[in-house]
Amino acid sequence: MSDKDKASPVINRRKFLELLGAAGFSTAVAAALTVPFAGRKARASGREGESEHHWVMVIDLSLCIGCQYCVYACQAVNDVATDMRWNVYLLDQTETGKPFHMTRPCLHCQNPPCADVCPVHATYQRGDGLVVMDYERCIGCRYCMVACPYDVRRFNWEARSDENPYEPEWGSAEVERRPRGVVEKCTFCIHRIDRGLEQGLTPGVDRAATPACVNICPVGARKFGDLNDPDSEVARIIATKPTFRLREELGTEPNVYYVPAEGMVIA
Amino acid sequence: MSTALKAWIGGLVALVLVGLVSGIVVFAKGLVVTGLTDRVPWGLWIALDLSSISLGAGAFILSAIVYLLNLRQFESVARVAVLIGFLGYSSAMLALALDIGRPDRFWHPLVYWNVHSVLWEVTMCVVLYFTVLALELSTVLLESPFFERWAAAPRVAHTLHQFTPVLAVAGLLLSLLHQSSLGATYGVVAARPLWYKPSLPVLFILSAAAGGVSMTTFATLLVSMLQRRWVVGREVINRLAILAGSAMAAYLYLKLWDWAATTYYSNIPAREVGLSLLLQTTPYGETFWWIEVLLGGIVPMIIFLWPRMRENDYMLLLGCALAITGVVMLRWNVTISGLVVPQDWSPGVAFLFPRLSYHPTLPEIGAFLGIIAYALLAFTLAVRYLPVYPMVRETE
Repeated sequence: MSDKDKASPVINRRKFLELLGAAGFSTAVAAALTVPFAGRKARASGREGESEHHWVMVIDLSLCIGCQYCVYACQAVNDVATDMRWNVYLLDQTETGKPFHMTRPCLHCQNPPCADVCPVHATYQRGDGLVVMDYERCIGCRYCMVACPYDVRRFNWEARSDENPYEPEWGSAEVERRPRGVVEKCTFCIHRIDRGLEQGLTPGVDRAATPACVNICPVGARKFGDLNDPDSEVARIIATKPTFRLREELGTEPNVYYVPAEGMVIA
Repeated sequence: MSTALKAWIGGLVALVLVGLVSGIVVFAKGLVVTGLTDRVPWGLWIALDLSSISLGAGAFILSAIVYLLNLRQFESVARVAVLIGFLGYSSAMLALALDIGRPDRFWHPLVYWNVHSVLWEVTMCVVLYFTVLALELSTVLLESPFFERWAAAPRVAHTLHQFTPVLAVAGLLLSLLHQSSLGATYGVVAARPLWYKPSLPVLFILSAAAGGVSMTTFATLLVSMLQRRWVVGREVINRLAILAGSAMAAYLYLKLWDWAATTYYSNIPAREVGLSLLLQTTPYGETFWWIEVLLGGIVPMIIFLWPRMRENDYMLLLGCALAITGVVMLRWNVTISGLVVPQDWSPGVAFLFPRLSYHPTLPEIGAFLGIIAYALLAFTLAVRYLPVYPMVRETE
């Protein structure tokens, strides 16, 4: 160390200003890089494609008897691993202690946090509101699982070689098994919707174009359809009955509407 | 080579082998061998990523100070800071390679951009900054005796060296971005009330500054004590301590207000419920107050800023170790606390779901130890065989 260095203070005013300048410049560049992207924001990650449809599901908790057929049909049709559930059943209770049956698929949020956080756009929202997964692109970082407010996302922790015990009793597999290391979730039986529309069918009306859980419900507690069609059953229920959605305060705008169970107070 | 050094290196090699075996088990069987679940999908390895990146932060701070501010008295530690940065970031990448479900698709974020994902920004910055670190480190490698047989080496090293200020600016920019956005990774998750706050990105970068400089100081002081000679001037080490202490003070000030604003002066029900669950069922309260705040924050800050204390080698070494522990504890606590509190999505009663738990398994711990051993082994060998402390060679 030279004598000159020893004599100088650790930092003088000019050097301090230079550092401040460099830090300020860096911050400005960082902001400049971020702002153009932020300006586009209506929904952070944007939607892929336009659609005349807006698919929603209505679950009537006052009708549900807790048979779990919707769970079993989902396990079979989507070939979901036995220790995994896309469609969850839960015996819940109201604030007054009255039990009711709660089921929950993926809510296909209008503002899906999972799609916002995915670093590779492996999960994204289509114009018709469906939040879908690209299994070929997913890197398995699991940030979407961390960000989902509803615990709907499942990870393939190992390669599968199991027999599906729900087949063929509850239906047969209509989609391929997902590989090890990617995230998956309920799709609203997207394969049925897309194929059905091609064949001129109406999802929610024609069974071949309707999610398996809706078809199998013995009491008609689950309804599916197009919210953009005012004559659809789902649009009528939402217009006439009191409904609520899960964790609405987060602004995720789920596309699954619940008709409250008896004795349930909704805000 | 002394017996102690041989034993140290032997032990580290053994741990690296344990890590390799663990890694093979993970790749062969999948992440099912970990203690992670669908509801606690991040754990020990994520805490390792965050910690090793934060402890590598000395590189960007000291590079900026030396090459932008031209404060040459810190030049003697710039190289070791860059080396520690390189080892920290490469450790994080090793852990990530195990942690992501599809390591064969590690390149996807570079090609398929989602500019709205904090994690995409983190990935891009980390990859670019790792490149910066590798270039900065290559000048050190080129000056090593091994490259003396290659005539062009000094010229290449000199050319690279001329770009150091450019690299320092790039490093400052990239580090400011990703050290903060690693905190934002948690801070933007609206679904989890314990995380969702704007203070996390700033807490992360300030604690990284304190932890990164502490790590550089710790390594330099320890090497000097073991070699029984000053590899850099003792005065430089004092100044590093002041730098670490100042960063720690800034971090603690923000931490005070973060705590006061989110828990003392306000009570959002969801946050209160989650916090009381943590306090009742986990050691979160103890680890937060004792390790993050007191032993890992206030105590090292006092040691760094009190001249009589920092001038004592053993006291300063202890202070650095405590600061590092505190910074690591913050990352562990943030990661785990946000995940083990269940998400009450059902309209029924809160506490319907029990607190979730996470216990790392043997392959997880094995890989964790292996990666740390890799960094320590590489550091030991680099200090022994590379001109990491350039001033020493000049005086010899």
